[in-house]
Amino acid sequence: MLALLFILFAGLAIGSAIAVVAQRNPLYSAISLIGVFVSLACLYVMLAAPFIAAVQLIVYAGAIMVLVVFVIMLLNVEEEERRRPRLKFLVPAAVFMAAILIAEATFIIYSVKSAGAPTVSASNTGLTAAIGAGLFTKYLLPFEVTSILLLMAIVGAMTLARRSRTLTPTIGVVPGAQVVAMDILRPGSAENLTPVESDTSAEAASLLGVETYKEPKDEGNHGA
Amino acid sequence: MDLTVSIVLYFVAITIAFLTIMLLCAFTVLAERRVLAFLQGRLGPNRVGYGGLLQPFADFIKTMVKEDLIPDQSTRFVFLLAPMIAIVTAIMAILVYPFGPTITIPFVEWTIPLVIARFDVGLLYVLGVTSVGVYGIMLAGWSSNNKYSLMGGLRASAQMISYELSLGMSLVGVVLIAGTLDIYSIVEQQSGWGGLRWNIFFQPVGFIIYLISAIAETNRVPFDLPEAETELVAGFHTEYSSIKFLLFFNAEYINMITVSMLATSLFLGGWQGPFVNQFPLLGVFYFFIKIAFFLFLYIWLRGTLPRFRFDQLMNFGWKFLIPVAILNIVVTATLALFDWL
Repeated sequence: MLALLFILFAGLAIGSAIAVVAQRNPLYSAISLIGVFVSLACLYVMLAAPFIAAVQLIVYAGAIMVLVVFVIMLLNVEEEERRRPRLKFLVPAAVFMAAILIAEATFIIYSVKSAGAPTVSASNTGLTAAIGAGLFTKYLLPFEVTSILLLMAIVGAMTLARRSRTLTPTIGVVPGAQVVAMDILRPGSAENLTPVESDTSAEAASLLGVETYKEPKDEGNHGA
Repeated sequence: MDLTVSIVLYFVAITIAFLTIMLLCAFTVLAERRVLAFLQGRLGPNRVGYGGLLQPFADFIKTMVKEDLIPDQSTRFVFLLAPMIAIVTAIMAILVYPFGPTITIPFVEWTIPLVIARFDVGLLYVLGVTSVGVYGIMLAGWSSNNKYSLMGGLRASAQMISYELSLGMSLVGVVLIAGTLDIYSIVEQQSGWGGLRWNIFFQPVGFIIYLISAIAETNRVPFDLPEAETELVAGFHTEYSSIKFLLFFNAEYINMITVSMLATSLFLGGWQGPFVNQFPLLGVFYFFIKIAFFLFLYIWLRGTLPRFRFDQLMNFGWKFLIPVAILNIVVTATLALFDWL
């Protein structure tokens, strides 16, 4: 019974993992990756680690992959056309890595086999209370350091997102007095409208204290 | 009890819970139409069966026999997958809700709690399954290849991701008091004191944040921007017809019911009520009464409130609900540290 379930979920995980790399459409790859995470969560439950399983579901399947799918949807990435594979030198590297991985797996299986069957005992290692106690006593420092790392990542992302204030080429200024949104990059803030009097986009940009959009190559001004 | 008996019992329990939730869903739709009609000075559907009681089934048959359209330019596989994800994740959440206390079956003397599965991480399981449910709506909006659907899908997923945070945080206070994530145990701990041990009295702020976030999480009025009829036709399910539309429709109502069940179990004492100790089956009755209260609240709000604007919605979620929820956690944790709760 348990072996059957294991084969089911492990098979699902491997099949989805193959689909992640084999699919040409990025959205299908993302969906397959969600499949991998969900089947891994099921495997964790079978290994008597329900907390890890729930966290796997919430964090990986529920939060990170939602963002990935979100980005793919927003950019509307088209199906990648078949093309000559670039970066050919990576193929031997991949084969080498796979060999190492297989060797490791074989070693683990061999050592487990030679160690004999584990003695079955009631353990609460995977339960929430045990993990919580561990995190807040024995592993408090790594736990706190990780949280500060995550906070830094959030702050970094916010600074990067807020820095560039550029008038996009789609923004045009009609000559004469008119209203230009102060935060072009943050649409929806209707309260933040600043009236400016200008004839060109460049003038409006200098009045607003932002840069005009410049093509990377030529220095032509693409406003108005 | 040996293994075969317990498997059969599980099967029976799952079937009963499934049928209950489906019937509850059908009658919630009817109740919504009747109550809305009452609020708006109309009659509502009252012709099929006594007082319109058979209306949901008539609607079901009508929707089933409609033509099942798949848009030409849609991404077919994802288009079919999306409603399945929506309904499966919605139904999976009912696994951990206790419908009643432990009862003894006469003659065979089996004592079984009226809950399908009790496990250590029940609450986290609910949150996890709910967070996977977002994909149904996102993928539906994307695969339809329709700008209204895409807008609806994007709005829905942005909204659900934002409000999931405050929803989860509002529950931390209850977990701090209970010291467990198993929903059955949390309900059990709220017994006694004539109903004054219900968590709503210890966690009023948490309860209100949960209620608001839950309404937003299920995309209901006043947070129904994903399917704002006046702007987006029908949002993410514009292109869906027949049974696939029905699946989305059912998923929305089942989500409403399950968030009501969670609110009942965590804040309103679940199946607790007078004389439950003497007659355990009375607990099931109390449980459904409390759910009915929340469902009525949903319908009442729909008949009363106008819709939010999208930036108001985001600002409210991120700049008001989440800070208040964090403050609630800090205060509760401090009080719990000194054993004042």
